[in-house]
Formats: sequence, C-alpha cells, structure tokens
Amino acid sequence: MALAFDEYGRPFIIIKEQEQKTRLRGLDAQKANISAGRSVARILRTSLGPKGMDKMLSSPDGDVTITNDGATILEQMDVDNQIAKLMVELSRSQDYEIGDGTTGVVVMAGSLLEQAEKLLERGIHPIRIAEGYELASRIAVEHLERIAHKFEFGENNIESLVQTCMTTLSSKIVNRCKRKLAEISVKAVLAVADLERKDVNLDLIKVDGKVGGKLEDTELIYGIVVDKDMSHPQMPKQIQDANIAILTCPFEPPKPKTKHKVDIDTVEKFETLRKQEQQYFDDMVQKCKDVGATLVICQWGFDDEANHLLMHRNLPAVRWVGGVELELIAIATGGRIVPRFQELTAEKLGKAGLVREKSFGTTKDRMLYIEHCANSRAVTIFIRGGNKMMIEETKRSIHDALCVARNLIRNNSIVYGGGSAEIACSIAVEAAADRYPGVEQYAIRAFADALDAIPMALAENSGLQPIETLSAVKSQQIKVT
Amino acid sequence: MASMMQPQIILLKEGTDTSQGKAQLVSNINACTAVADVVRTTLGPRGMDKLIHDANGSVTISNDGATIMKLLDIVHPAAKILVDIAKSQDSEVGDGTTTVVLLAAEFLREAKPFIEDGVHPQNLIRSYRIACNLAIDKVKGLATSIEGKSLEEKKSLLSKCAQTTLNSKLIGGEKEFFATMVVNAVIAIGTDDRLNMIGIKKVPGGNMRDSFLVDGVAFKKTFSYAGFEQQPKKFLNPKILLLNIELELKSEKENAEIRLSDPSQYQSIVDAEWNIIYEKLDKCVQSGAKVVLSRLAIGDLATQYFADRDIFCAGRVAEEDLQRVAAATGGTVQTTVNNVIDEVLGTCEVFEEKQVGNERFNIFSGCPSGRTATIVLRGGADQFIEEAERSLHDAIMIVRRALKNSTVVAGGGAIDMEISRYLRQHARSISGKSQLFINSYAKALEIIPRQLCDNAGFDATDVLNKLRQKHAHASGEGAPYGVDINTGGIADSFANFVWEPAINAINAATEAACLVLSVDETVKNPKSESAQGDAAMMGGRGRGGAMRGGRGRGMRRR
Repeated sequence: MALAFDEYGRPFIIIKEQEQKTRLRGLDAQKANISAGRSVARILRTSLGPKGMDKMLSSPDGDVTITNDGATILEQMDVDNQIAKLMVELSRSQDYEIGDGTTGVVVMAGSLLEQAEKLLERGIHPIRIAEGYELASRIAVEHLERIAHKFEFGENNIESLVQTCMTTLSSKIVNRCKRKLAEISVKAVLAVADLERKDVNLDLIKVDGKVGGKLEDTELIYGIVVDKDMSHPQMPKQIQDANIAILTCPFEPPKPKTKHKVDIDTVEKFETLRKQEQQYFDDMVQKCKDVGATLVICQWGFDDEANHLLMHRNLPAVRWVGGVELELIAIATGGRIVPRFQELTAEKLGKAGLVREKSFGTTKDRMLYIEHCANSRAVTIFIRGGNKMMIEETKRSIHDALCVARNLIRNNSIVYGGGSAEIACSIAVEAAADRYPGVEQYAIRAFADALDAIPMALAENSGLQPIETLSAVKSQQIKVT
Repeated sequence: MASMMQPQIILLKEGTDTSQGKAQLVSNINACTAVADVVRTTLGPRGMDKLIHDANGSVTISNDGATIMKLLDIVHPAAKILVDIAKSQDSEVGDGTTTVVLLAAEFLREAKPFIEDGVHPQNLIRSYRIACNLAIDKVKGLATSIEGKSLEEKKSLLSKCAQTTLNSKLIGGEKEFFATMVVNAVIAIGTDDRLNMIGIKKVPGGNMRDSFLVDGVAFKKTFSYAGFEQQPKKFLNPKILLLNIELELKSEKENAEIRLSDPSQYQSIVDAEWNIIYEKLDKCVQSGAKVVLSRLAIGDLATQYFADRDIFCAGRVAEEDLQRVAAATGGTVQTTVNNVIDEVLGTCEVFEEKQVGNERFNIFSGCPSGRTATIVLRGGADQFIEEAERSLHDAIMIVRRALKNSTVVAGGGAIDMEISRYLRQHARSISGKSQLFINSYAKALEIIPRQLCDNAGFDATDVLNKLRQKHAHASGEGAPYGVDINTGGIADSFANFVWEPAINAINAATEAACLVLSVDETVKNPKSESAQGDAAMMGGRGRGGAMRGGRGRGMRRR
C-alpha cells in the first residue's frame, strides 16, 4: 500500500498492520503471476505423451510415488505459490471431470500464459487479451466439434472403445500391456454402465491390487474380491453355488443401546444367563441354516465361541468386511443387507456361482473371490505387479482409462490424438484471427501459437526435432484439407 | 501560544490519540481517497481483478468492490466508513459497490480544496444534499419503465440488465449464457423476498458452459451407509417425505438405565428398542413416500430397510437445502413420523441422482410450486467458481431490483454524465457559494465515465469531452450516450443495451461523503495491550505536541 500522508507529512495507517502487508500491482504483478504459472507447466511438460518421463515424488514421511499423471504430481508437490495453486486446481478439476488429460491442460495453460506475457509487453490491455483468448477458445471448440468422429459401439463391439483407452494408457508406465488393460477397463465400464441413461457409476468398479506376480496377471473379475479369509482355517476353501447371507449385525447376543445392568445374585440366574447366551448363538446359526445360507458375510466380528459353532455346524463365514465392500457384494450377488437375524429370509440371500479363497505365492495372504454372480453390476479389477509403487501407478492409469471409457459412453465422439487435434485447431484459429478487428486479433493469434505447445512438447519428449516436426505436420494438414 | 506555559490539563487517559480540526478533516479525506485508489481499477467491463492472499493462505480473486474492501482489513476510522457503505450497497442493491466507493471518494476530493480554503463543512454538506436530491429526481425522470410488457419482453430486458452487471466480471465472456440463467432463476422464485430460495452449488471441474439451472433443488449426495447403492436412483412423480428426526437405532434416553433382575427379560428389552425404530420406519413407508429426506442422520438400518422397499433416502441434508426442497415440492418438514398425511408430502416431476463432475447430485426438477431454483456452477478452479458465484449474486440482485422497480436507465456512465450536466445547469441559477459546491459535485460525478475510460486504456479527456458535447444538446437526445468500451469512443448506451436498474449509488455515496465531512475530531483510545502501551504513549506525547501546533495554525487562519 502506498503510504498516505496528511498535510503535515505524518503517515497515517489505513490498513491493519500496514507495514507487514505487501502489495504488488500493475505489470509487475502480472509478470510474477505468469512466471509462477509457467514454472509449474514447465515441470509437467516433460511428462506429456507416450514418451513422457515419470516423476518420482517423495513425501515428508518417506512415501515414494512414481507417476506421470499430472494431477497426482501437482497434488504431491505441495505448491505454495498462489498462482501455482490455481494450476494445481485446474489439473484437479480436469481429473474430476474428465479423468484424463491432466498434464495436457496444465501445459496448455502454461503456454497460453507464456504467449500472454509477450502481448503484455507490447502494451496490450490484459482484459483484451483475456477476451481474445475466450473468443479463440470458442472457435477452437467449434472446430473440434466439426472434426470429431462419432462411432458406434455395443456390448459386443468394443474395439473402438478399447482403441481409445489404449491411447490413454500408452502414456503411462503400464504401456507394455496396454491392450490387455484397456480391454479390462472397457469391459468393466460396460458391465456397470447404464447404457440407456448413459450413466456410469464408477463406485461400482472396485480397483484393488496386491504386490506380487506380474502386470500381465491383472484380471477382471465379474464379482468382488475382498482381502479377507474364512474365519476358521478348517472351513471349506471353495463353495459352489453359494447362497450368501449378508449381515450387518454381530454374531453375539444383542445388546440394548440404552444403558443397562443385569443383576445376578444367585448361581441359578447366572446359569440361565449363560444358557441363554448359548441359546442365542445356536439360534443365530440355525436361522442362517434354515433359510439355506451356505456362506455368511458379516460386517462385525464374532468371538471364538461363535466361530467354533459355525465351524461345527458347517457354515463358512467371513468376518470384519467393510461397509463399502459389503454393499458391493450385495449389489453383485443381488442379495440384501440384513440388519437383524429375525429378518433373514431366503429371498434376501445373495447368489454367487463360485466363492473361493485364493492364496498368493509363498505368502500366507489369502483373498476371497466371489465370482459368477447373479447380477454382475459390480466388478473388480485386480491388479498384480512387482512392487507397491507400480500397483499404485497402475491404479491411477486404470482410473484414467475407466474415465475415458465412461466419457465415451456418455458422448461417443472422438478426435484424433498425437497433437493432431491441437494442430487442426491452431490452423482454424489462426485463419479465423484475421476476421476480427481490434486488439483481440493479436490475442487470438497468440492462442493459435499456444496450441502448438502440445505437439511441440510431444515431439520434444520423443526426441524429435520439435519445430521441424510441427511444421511438417502442419503443412501436411493444410495440404490435405 | 500562551497556553503552552500553563500546566497541561489531563483530560483523557494517557496515550489517547486525539486529533481535531481542519487538519483532521483533510487527513480523513486523504485516507478515503487512498482506499478508493485500491478499488479504482476494478470498475467497469475492462476493470482488473485483485488477488488477495490472506494470512491463512486462502486466496480470493475478485473484482467485487465490497469483497475487496472487506478483505483489506481497514482500520482507519474514516476509511472504514467507505467499507461500510460498500457493504451496505452490497446487501441493499447487490451491485455497484465499486461505484459507490469511487463516488464518495470523489465527492470528498472535490470538497478538499474548499475545506482547505476555510469553507465551513456544513455549507458543503448542505449543498451536497441538495445536489443529491436533484440528482435522484433527475434519475427518476430519465428512467424507462418496463412495466406492462409481456413476460418474453421482460425477460429479454432483464437479461440485458444482468448482462451489464456481468460485463465487468470474470465471467463476462459468457454473459449471455449466465444472464439468461439468472433471469430464469429470478423469475422462478417470483416476487418473493426470499433470496435463499435460489441455491448456488459449486462443483469444480468442467468449464463455465457446463453450468446449468435446475428448476427445483439440487444438492450433493449426503453421507450414506451400506445399502444406499441398492436404492433406486430415479423416480417419476415421487412423494417426498421431509423429516427432522433421526432414523437410527439408538438409546432412547441418554440418562436412563435399565436394571434387569431376570436374564430372560433381556430379549424383551432388545425387542422393544428394535420395535421403536421399526415402527418409525414402517410409518415412513406407510405414508407412501418414495423419497425420504432428513436433516438428521439416517442410519444403516434405515438405509437398508428403505432399500428393501425401493425407497430413496438421504440423511444429514443441510438445513437450507431441506427448506428449499420443502418450498419447491410443497411439502412440510415433519418432526415426527406419526400422522403423516398426504398434505405434508411434497412431490416433483422427476427425482434423480446424477453425476456432476466428481460428485453425485440429488436433483429434484419440475417442482409444482416452482418457487425455487438452483444454479450449479462449474469451472476450472475453486477461486474461479467463488468469483463466479459472487458475480451471479450481483446479477441476481440487480435483476430482482429491476423486476421490483420496473425501471431501467442507461449505463456506461451515461446517467452520470447526464446528471452532471443537469446539475451544472442548475448551479448557474443559484446565487451564492452553493453554486460552486454544486458545480464541484457535478464534476465529481464525471469520475465514473472517466474511470471507465482509464481502465479500458482510452484517453479519458478526449472521450469525456465528446460525451459532454453530446449531453449538452438541448434536445436531450444525447442523454443516453455513454462510454463505448469496445471502440474507445462514445455510443448510445440505451441502444446498446447497457442498462442499469434505476437505483443509484449516488445517494449512498453522498451520505458517506457528508458523514466524513461532518467529522472534525477523532478520539482514539490507546490499545489495551500493555506491550503496545509504551509505543502508544511515546507516540501520544509526540503527537500531542504536533497536534497543538496544528490546532494553533488552524485557528490563526480562521
């Protein structure tokens, strides 16, 4: 704040703790902001495209993440600068909305800022630049709609979807088995998609991973995989045509929620209480048996007494299954979650063709596969990989691919990648620029230049001559059209 | 200077800062102008935004005068008046906060030379008040009524008003899109005074164009328990039950304790508890409602119970969202599930859970009473959406004012120029000092077009002279001419649809200016913190000396 002085030269204080506040204004402020935005973009630039490099990020508590997903990098970088934060949010919102292209959006924004700086130096009013950019982006979007291709797909015709997902995956670390992963992603999305409403609830796709094996072992399971095992080691490891009781009540005598106290003053009373408790266990198991359940999945635990009883009565059980997983199991098996033993009926049981416990390698880890479900509206993608970082990165890549597949189901038009769409837009914007009178024309032209940044970065990252490649592609495009 | 010899009479607590007299007045004026300088550049469609970064690390990007002033954390007592008028303009009118601050500061700046020359402030105040009344009458005379037009015409007129407001904001590029949205929302809630019936929901992601208007209510999916995904997610013409009770298995009384002497009674207590909740749930189902919303928690038991019966439920719905649903669907919020009759159930055409960005939203559309609307804003970054929300708020306020007052005037500085001309003309008919003051008041009004030009990078003097020439036409046909920010010339604002509702910042600005002018003494008590006591005392003494000198000089001159 410029100090204000009164008639007698005494400064007076207008803003609280005036001296400690800083104020940056005018061209300097804009330049500082632009350089912050650009430096963020510069970090991500090398991650763009199939030949993009990965970044290794180490968090304060020593966790290491290796990724080339723009949103993840920026999230973990913990930037402090305000403008840089804006870029982070930009990338995050792209992640939320589209799921992919998080690097591209930041590189593009950085390049737009770079161009704007040049215009500012020439004395063009910033708002005019902004308006020009807005005009140009409208032109570009219109052009994109013109060059977009629509394709048909169906339950059995997924080739085009797979191809598009492969483009996404090719820039990731997992690109060596992109075909397989893309197929898995597309199948998973189609399994849960509501094609009529064009709605895909990604919550119904569970992405889980376990260290070990290799990436090629990644599989899609039409059902649910939970990281749990049978409650008793002697229970059967495989159940055919399971009828599953899904419970949210514990295997123990019910307790009233209100505070209570049982006065026991005689040995007889104690005996009855004990008997009653045993009776409860017996009843509960009997009820499950009565309705025909062959497997019990419980949200809560049960003590050894109940466990023994279940084992004894030959009723396999799984305990401590989380709420979200329970819900997915219920959806997949078409069962209902039962909050109370009294409510258990045969209709509420879920059906699964095969439930099996699978152990991995030499470790004692076991997981429970619930497969061949009645209703395959919930699926699991189970990722295997050499180490934890690899699995995390694969999860992120699969997420991107899932999002791409979802977007295609919503709107089945595509444009071609490899920077070709950007170049086409750049040409269109450049051509349109001349039609605008006024200062905006410069801004529009700058926008066209900025669009070139994406193919440039792609070429650069692939070790090609950026300028030569770009101009070759551009001339080719103009020649063809 | 004889008083210097006498022992000092201590009237106020030591450290108290007093300043008075003309010097004080002038310094107040200076402070106000300094504050106005901060927001000066935000005026108009080519105004720049300010990025304010506070101690907590949160960032606000805004060009809304009131927001900036609020965040500046101003402590100067006189300058605070400006903050207050900006705030009151914001809550009263909703827009024009920058204008009001600029005008007030300009009135003061014009008054300063007169004060320095020894004019009594009360004289100035009186003249300013007269000028203000004249100006307001003139505005009323110039206003064009939109009363009696058909709904379609009204809509397009209102949307022009909204566009003028949005012009100066970050979302100016999409002003037509948002203006239509705002107008539809305002018309939806009708003439009711309940502005909270327009909900604005912010979802990061996508771009501005993905924003949409729901002719009903939309809110984010609430926290849900297992079983929620098994509930149906779409209903046509559902009955909606609104509750304000918990549907959860819980202890009925916090401080109650059950004593059992016979273990066999145990089961009956447990059953009793379950029965209470089952009874409640059963009543909800009995009512025929397909959607159950509650302000309090709906537990996992209830979620699964409803899922079993194909009913959708959502617990912990925010109070205002629930109120909005109640208003939109015609239902009433119940505090019990007993006696739920059909009249208290709401309904709407379509209820649906939809994916918006990364969130799932519950959307009630096609509501019978149609007295609510929800705008779902999308945009790249949080700050961006925040600013968009503020801009839409301004636009909504303006449209509402225009709808109520049903009159509009030309914007782009045209109205200010016209009043200025009128006041100058009027001043000539006054004999006495007042003529000067009203003239300077008229001159101050020109700050609006001048600043518009400055911000757009045009030659203000050139444009202003063109405007003066136009407005000086005796026929009055030049009245609607204002600054054309596209070409740097002048244009008929009215024909270009740069419209403002016929309420003006002039009154508020004059009030504030008069208030500052009428103050000639400030007494500032020392800070209570002892740490600053020393500094304050030192300063106090030092200032005391200077003060006396100042006052002395002031007296001599008079």
